[in-house]
Amino acid sequence: MNKLSPAKEEELLRYLDGELDAVEKTNLEAEIQRSSLLKIRVEELQFVRSFLMRKTTLEAPSKNFTHNVMEGLDSQPVMSLFSPRKGLLLLLGVIIASVICLMLLTHGVFDQTTTSLIVEAPQNKWMQDVTLAIPFNGKILVNVIIFLNLALALLLLDRTILRPLFQKRTSMGY
Amino acid sequence: MITAEEEYLLIDRILAGDRNLYATLVDKYKSYAYTLAMKVLGNRSDAEEAAQDAFIKAFHYLKGFNKQAKFSTWLYRIVFNTAISYKRKRKPAFQSIENSIVEYSERADNKTEQDDKHTFILKAMAKLNEADRLAIQLFYIKEFSMEEVADMMGQNINTIKVRIHRARLRLADELKVILKQEALTL
Repeated sequence: MNKLSPAKEEELLRYLDGELDAVEKTNLEAEIQRSSLLKIRVEELQFVRSFLMRKTTLEAPSKNFTHNVMEGLDSQPVMSLFSPRKGLLLLLGVIIASVICLMLLTHGVFDQTTTSLIVEAPQNKWMQDVTLAIPFNGKILVNVIIFLNLALALLLLDRTILRPLFQKRTSMGY
Repeated sequence: MITAEEEYLLIDRILAGDRNLYATLVDKYKSYAYTLAMKVLGNRSDAEEAAQDAFIKAFHYLKGFNKQAKFSTWLYRIVFNTAISYKRKRKPAFQSIENSIVEYSERADNKTEQDDKHTFILKAMAKLNEADRLAIQLFYIKEFSMEEVADMMGQNINTIKVRIHRARLRLADELKVILKQEALTL
């Protein structure tokens, strides 16, 4: 049994959807009359089309649907950037980084890094051979990084795990 | 039935603080939203929850609604995305289209040949790839144009057209195979 070409099948679909112009339609209809293969295929596609058009009707939600929505308007939607799993992994990463920084800090790795940043000022006729010295303490910098890491960890804990969890519990009526 | 202009006025009043009017929008679109969620999730309770959640999200994002677009299209995109995220979260509980076959066949009062064919088509539909099935189901929900389906699914309109055509051809092929198998077992 011969198989129809993709172009012919496409033409049949367009025919059933009423997308062919008058000439194309007449030609195809004549062709269908001559070919039993085309006739069978049109019947099959016609059946699928009518089934889809008939069967896909609107479904009715529960009677208290609108009431539930209106009741829920006060709850903020869960707006998390990450899924709980990704959030947990990121949280673990942040905690591990903080712990490593703390360990390095307690072992005195940054004790020797107190230094000055020397910046050479641009030279002009008023300022010649002037260097600017900015005191720089590595320990303070690491402390700031640890603090920022912990703040990020708390934020992640709140946004990706605790808030979605409690919102879900609230919506489930616990 | 409210017009698009009336709908925009309604949205302005909701944004101005008259939130009870939101119930009018919910009533107008709840069946579409629920049906859409049902097509994605294939489960009534999940679909109801997802559709409600989508309406709540839409209310909170209403300020960001651009009135150059249709409210329905904007809302359906939220419903579709919410339903997809529900589906990802609840993968083990997901019921495929095969579950709805039981539901539909239970509804059938008389086992005519036509009913059998419908069951066969639903079986065939279960064999389609998920994106094709969704595209064809959404397209045949009343009033969803190809542009709307493309917008909802975040895909190009030509891709959606290909998906729908491919799904229709595949359904016809599957139907032929199933009917042949049925004829052999008789």
